[in-house]
Amino acid sequence: MLEVQDLHAFYGKSHVVQGVSLEVGPGEAVGLMGRNGVGKTTTLKSIAGLLTRTHGRITLGGAELSKLSTHDRARRGLGFVPEAQAVFSEMTVEENIRIGALIQPRAEQARCLEAAYELFPILSERRRQLAGTLSGGQQKMLGLARGLCLRPKVLLVDEPSEGLMPVNVELIAQALKKATQDGLSILVVDASFDLVQTVCARMYAMDRGVLVGMYRPAEFSRPEQLAATFLGDRAG
Amino acid sequence: MNQVVLQALNGLVVGSSLALVASGLALLFGVLDIINFAQGEFFMMGAYVLWLVLGATHNYALGFVAATVVVGIGGGLMLQLLTQPLLEKAHVLVLLATLGVSLIVQQLAQNVFGGDAKLLPTPIEESVDIGPITYPVYDLVIVAVGLGLLAAGFFWLRYAKYGVWVRAVAQNRPMAAILGVPVPRVYFLAFVISSALAGLAGALLAPVTSVFPNIGGPVILNSLIVVVAGGLGNFRGAAWIALLFGEVQSLGSIVMPPVVVQLVLFGLVIVLLALRSRRKTVLVRL
Repeated sequence: MLEVQDLHAFYGKSHVVQGVSLEVGPGEAVGLMGRNGVGKTTTLKSIAGLLTRTHGRITLGGAELSKLSTHDRARRGLGFVPEAQAVFSEMTVEENIRIGALIQPRAEQARCLEAAYELFPILSERRRQLAGTLSGGQQKMLGLARGLCLRPKVLLVDEPSEGLMPVNVELIAQALKKATQDGLSILVVDASFDLVQTVCARMYAMDRGVLVGMYRPAEFSRPEQLAATFLGDRAG
Repeated sequence: MNQVVLQALNGLVVGSSLALVASGLALLFGVLDIINFAQGEFFMMGAYVLWLVLGATHNYALGFVAATVVVGIGGGLMLQLLTQPLLEKAHVLVLLATLGVSLIVQQLAQNVFGGDAKLLPTPIEESVDIGPITYPVYDLVIVAVGLGLLAAGFFWLRYAKYGVWVRAVAQNRPMAAILGVPVPRVYFLAFVISSALAGLAGALLAPVTSVFPNIGGPVILNSLIVVVAGGLGNFRGAAWIALLFGEVQSLGSIVMPPVVVQLVLFGLVIVLLALRSRRKTVLVRL
């Protein structure tokens, strides 16, 4: 489904992503893990087309995306749920969700709203509220619901559990799991091993801009083992 | 009493036409983060297009449509040929470029049409009794068209697909792009709408003022004051402040000389800005 070959990304003189190659199959959820600052978010932003100084080959269902603008990649089926500032804070919850659905036919837009409210009922209760006034957890839910409304083939999700209470992490994990069961491919960056273990079939390990291994959750019997593998000395 | 009603109505005429220019300017700032100093010249071009069409056809409706369309297209061309390439470099270059366009268009108008003021007859000669005074119907039409377009603009921004996309781009450009919003098309649309509004305002006011090359000067100055006071990038704020501006200017002229009224307006803007700077959110974009 999504294939990335020899991806490089730069911030000024810093060569942040140094030749990353990965793939995500149809209906598969794949994790991208590693310490802070190793280039995970930059990898997702590069795939989404948000960074200008990148090169490498990105294909979605065999179609080349590398030369396309960000919005054209989204229209070809590449969704992205960013970690920070994931909502339009001066728009209502419902307007935020609608934006994700606006490139769909009108009937599909109504279904998107229903699906989003079914997935996260709290958003339905707060549909008229400005998104900027939601709690951090609710904003994460809104960002994810809106990303799903785009009806992407592949969804890139950056730190969906960051700063959330365990109950909300569980909600997000279940939503991602259900999306993969419905056929969506997901590439997720997250520090929560519980979430990654629940959702992902495979995990790439990243260190200092390169991928250093590929694992399956079954290879780790406890989260501590997983943490030790991915975070080295910083594992708790 | 008669004087108060008369000036209040005059204030509405000034305010609603200023609101068209200023809300376009605010829209442009909201979406592209730029101030278009050529907006006053778009106003002037609208007036000249009406004058040219009237000279050829004597058809006002055609003149108003032509002014809106021609100036809108002019704005779109300006974005594609001048503004867009500079946007990727530095915003200050865009400001200087629009200032340059403003000076060039003004000089061109001077060379082509001459410096004399062209007087146009009003399309509707009748007047109507409003309470104690008799008021020209055409001036009321200007108010109705201005307010109607502003209301339509508000609903368009709130409910139409492209309107929602305009707000999305204004609030968070990268996020809008990752949701499939065609950002370059939204830029183009904002520029065309902003220019077309200025062109229409110029054409609407031409029969009650006159047409000359420097007509856009006070318009851009007043529009900038209104846009800053209304909250940069705030469509609705610019519209409200423009109406208030028109009323203060007209009603103030009953008791004060025009220069003093202008000073009072500047003072009010400073007070508004001081009050707004205390609020957490400065930019409310709609």
